[in-house]
Amino acid sequence: MSKSAEDQRSSSLVVSRRTILAGTGAALAMPFIARQGMAAAKDVNVGVVVPLSGANAQFGINSRNAIQLVADEINAAGGIKSLGGAKLNLIIADSTSTPTTAATVAQRMISQNSVVAVLGAFASSLTLAISEVTERRGIPLLTMSFSDVLTERGFKNVFQVVSKGSTLGRAQFDYSVALAKASGETIGKVAIMYEDTAYGTSQAEGLRQAAKAAGIAVVLDEAYPLGVTDATPLINKLRSSGAQLVFPVSYLNDSILIVRTMRQQGLDIPTIGGAAGYVIPDFRKALADLGDGVLSISPANYDQAPELTERFRKRFGYFMVHEAIEHAALTGVLASALENAKSTAPDALRAALLGATFDQGWASVMTGGSVRFDETGHNKNAYPVMVQWQKDELVTVYPPEAAKGKAQWSKRG
Amino acid sequence: MSLSSSLGNAGTPSLRTLPCRPVLLIAAALGMAGLVPLGLDPQGYTLRVLTLTLLFAAMAQSWNIVGGLANQISLGHAGFFGIGAYTSTILLRDLGVSPWLGMIAGMGLAGLAAAILSVPTFRLKGHYFALVTLAFGEVMRVIANSWSSVTGGPVGISVPFAPNSLWMFQYNTVRPYYYVSLIALVLVSVVFWRIKTGALGYRLRAIKENPDAAEVIGIDTYRAKLMAGLVSAVLTAALGTVYAQFSYFFDPDTIFGVASISVRMALIAIVGGVSLTFGPIVGAFFIIPLEEISNAALAGRAAGLSAFVYGALLIAIILVKPQGLLALFGDLYKRLRKESSR
Repeated sequence: MSKSAEDQRSSSLVVSRRTILAGTGAALAMPFIARQGMAAAKDVNVGVVVPLSGANAQFGINSRNAIQLVADEINAAGGIKSLGGAKLNLIIADSTSTPTTAATVAQRMISQNSVVAVLGAFASSLTLAISEVTERRGIPLLTMSFSDVLTERGFKNVFQVVSKGSTLGRAQFDYSVALAKASGETIGKVAIMYEDTAYGTSQAEGLRQAAKAAGIAVVLDEAYPLGVTDATPLINKLRSSGAQLVFPVSYLNDSILIVRTMRQQGLDIPTIGGAAGYVIPDFRKALADLGDGVLSISPANYDQAPELTERFRKRFGYFMVHEAIEHAALTGVLASALENAKSTAPDALRAALLGATFDQGWASVMTGGSVRFDETGHNKNAYPVMVQWQKDELVTVYPPEAAKGKAQWSKRG
Repeated sequence: MSLSSSLGNAGTPSLRTLPCRPVLLIAAALGMAGLVPLGLDPQGYTLRVLTLTLLFAAMAQSWNIVGGLANQISLGHAGFFGIGAYTSTILLRDLGVSPWLGMIAGMGLAGLAAAILSVPTFRLKGHYFALVTLAFGEVMRVIANSWSSVTGGPVGISVPFAPNSLWMFQYNTVRPYYYVSLIALVLVSVVFWRIKTGALGYRLRAIKENPDAAEVIGIDTYRAKLMAGLVSAVLTAALGTVYAQFSYFFDPDTIFGVASISVRMALIAIVGGVSLTFGPIVGAFFIIPLEEISNAALAGRAAGLSAFVYGALLIAIILVKPQGLLALFGDLYKRLRKESSR
């Protein structure tokens, strides 16, 4: 009785030589079988590498949604016509938060899925790592990461659709001073508060330099630990510094805490965020009316091309955040470039990306209304905009040629 | 003493149960490892994953010297790793020094850091040692983040582009990096095995069993731990240079990362079988491909699912066999043999 029980137990563990052989054979054959399947379809594979897990997951999901939306629309309208109506087939993968993993994922897409281009990867560190792989394989990488370095290394296969980080930092500062001037206030003292992370320190440095260039005093320059639980001491310092406006650099949770503490203490100096946590629906959800009047710099805004961005809101239920806009523009540009190139060869695609101004369909959703890459791969038509929370919407208030509403500077939230 | 008999004495119980002599097995495995890349796309994904696997196996093996032999659970090895990566890359960027020379400089700096770190930590045991080393790694990360003029700051640092060159340690394909990683793994494993079977290994084992008794019988415990710590740090720094040259770009949060480097090194060694020569190798060949496969298969479906599956599998292994995969394989092998002999 007991013996048969033992028999059963051990027999479940037996792995015959034949099984192992069959398994190994199958594993070896996999790539070949997979490749054959790929060759039969005439779809164009496009790699999408964005963070779907970790701290940046929400931004990655927003990006994926936008790319999916545009690809679906293009496919529904008959695909890439010059390639016989080939459909865009998205190969989506998680970049995680580790640059090495992001690069590995990109390499996988290139060698196993034969992607014609890679879109991604939101965070600059991930994009920089991926660019090392795509550059060596000669595959175009289309990105909305801010880092200046991306298009300044002489790489031939990086296409950056947004304004560079340094441009954004300078615009955040200069636009604020200009807005103040327009409402009759001269700025002499500003405050910078930033989270003590890579993102926070680099943004703060940009602001500091802009202040120096403008000859304006930084009366408070304070780092605080990410995930701060009580912002009261920070806001007390801000109050006693006598700053006329404040640049808080933070992601969502800290920005909510800072703005809430400021408003509760009756401190209503203009608050100008640096994109990130300040331009997403959750900011409004958490703060409701307290967030009214908060300004932020943004590389793009949905009110610039509402006829396009409303489709996103209709499908996903929230307004089209800036990373979604930029990824949608990149997908549109890629489709147009494939159409013009009449080929999926990397060289032809790169030539098509470099040569033209893209102002049709989703490519026109960016600031400037069109995308044109210079020889370094940077979109020179893009410029940053200043947006302001007015009720439930983000309204572009500066520069004048892009403004869709009047800045409420004197109201001060 | 022949190689095989000394390996047998080295206390790897699972090896003794294998049918043929370990030395033949090792030779066969090495031969296979040398031939595999010839059949793969030299720029391909599989080769890249294999290269990372070998590199992480080597890293876990260097950790194993401190974490396994000396039983000092370090969670700050990313500190040494980053020192190696930054030193060679900065020297290459600013002075055009070959990464091979930069590697040696990095090893020296890491050794210095380990010697300094040993002063406050040599009396610490268990959690306390782990916490101080954890802090060390974090301090290095903060320094790299804030010392922008030298390290490039939070934006990270890129290895300057160079054409295919052995001297500049830069290749257009993955294949040479695979061989470099393989050689590194073999070298680190030999060092580990020599320490383990040598006098230092016996001293470390005595300290591991009972530090007070070891002191009594005349072992200089500080010296023994310092030696193990130095060797481990220096090897880790060398691998940092390899990593930098392989990935061409890194930033402080990655290279000094707690989860991405420090814990991963320890995890690979522990999952494979801590203080065993083949533990980190088995661990790396399990963990790195598992991460990749779960990401490849599941990431497109639901956010975070791949990390969830990966974590669940790790927990399962630790629950089923806390001694690691090697012990688990040993058990399985014994059962299979019992089955076939009946």
